[in-house]
Amino acid sequence: MIVTSRILRPAVAALAAVSLVLGAASLPAVAQSSKMEGYVPTIWIDPDGCEHWAMDDGAEGYMDIRKTRDGRPVCHRNVCGIVPTDQLFATDKSAISASGRKYLENFFRTAQARAFIISGHTDSRASDEYNMGLSKRRANAVASVAQTTGANVLAVNWYGERQPRATNSTSAGMAQNRRVEIICVK
Amino acid sequence: MKFVTVAMLFGAVSTIAACDVKGIDKTYDGGTDKKHLSQLQAGVWIDPEGCDHWIIDDGIEGYLSARLDDYGKPICSGAGPKSTAVGPFKSGSPIADPL
Repeated sequence: MIVTSRILRPAVAALAAVSLVLGAASLPAVAQSSKMEGYVPTIWIDPDGCEHWAMDDGAEGYMDIRKTRDGRPVCHRNVCGIVPTDQLFATDKSAISASGRKYLENFFRTAQARAFIISGHTDSRASDEYNMGLSKRRANAVASVAQTTGANVLAVNWYGERQPRATNSTSAGMAQNRRVEIICVK
Repeated sequence: MKFVTVAMLFGAVSTIAACDVKGIDKTYDGGTDKKHLSQLQAGVWIDPEGCDHWIIDDGIEGYLSARLDDYGKPICSGAGPKSTAVGPFKSGSPIADPL
């Protein structure tokens, strides 16, 4: 994810070739230079609201997405839809109620988006394996409503209890975790 | 246009030589198109898998970074055909592309 200047690239390549010849018998360049140089990045926020590390080193620009140590991007997204699944489904079920279907149809018809990514989540009761299956069935149920309205569904994902939004130690927290998230892609 | 770009490049290269000290501020573009990097203008490049990346052509610097959903999965939105770039990714800098 590094892009160097188009202009300087031939020069850099030539330099690299020269150092290959000269340095064949010596240590690799990384070990040779014990000098440390500051590379303090700034943050660029993409149009979706996610953070990227960015640095400008004169004629080179560098950028990479910012992720937390557990591999999640840092996004300030206006998640366009978080549907508490209690509104749509009975406990442990994945059939959408009539009112839930109406709500979703209206959501997908009026959302200002080109496409959607749908992800299913549960609270932490029952086993991890069971919750993965339940969140998959629920996410797919929401996706099929989306498709009946002609919405473009890019992906359907499910995370079971593995990506909680709130604590699972209170009933209010668990209710927040039982959800289907809809990411709107512009 | 081309001549101007080359002249600008020359200027940029001498600036680099002048700034060749430890710890220059890398959070700013200090070239003729000065700005804080938070102001960069991106478009979308669609990779050969069909997935999106943010692409920024900012004069003599280029940037490319993945477009991901909240869980780290690639967003493959169909913004354009594979191996094309769409959007205002060249609009953030007045420096024209020499190539």
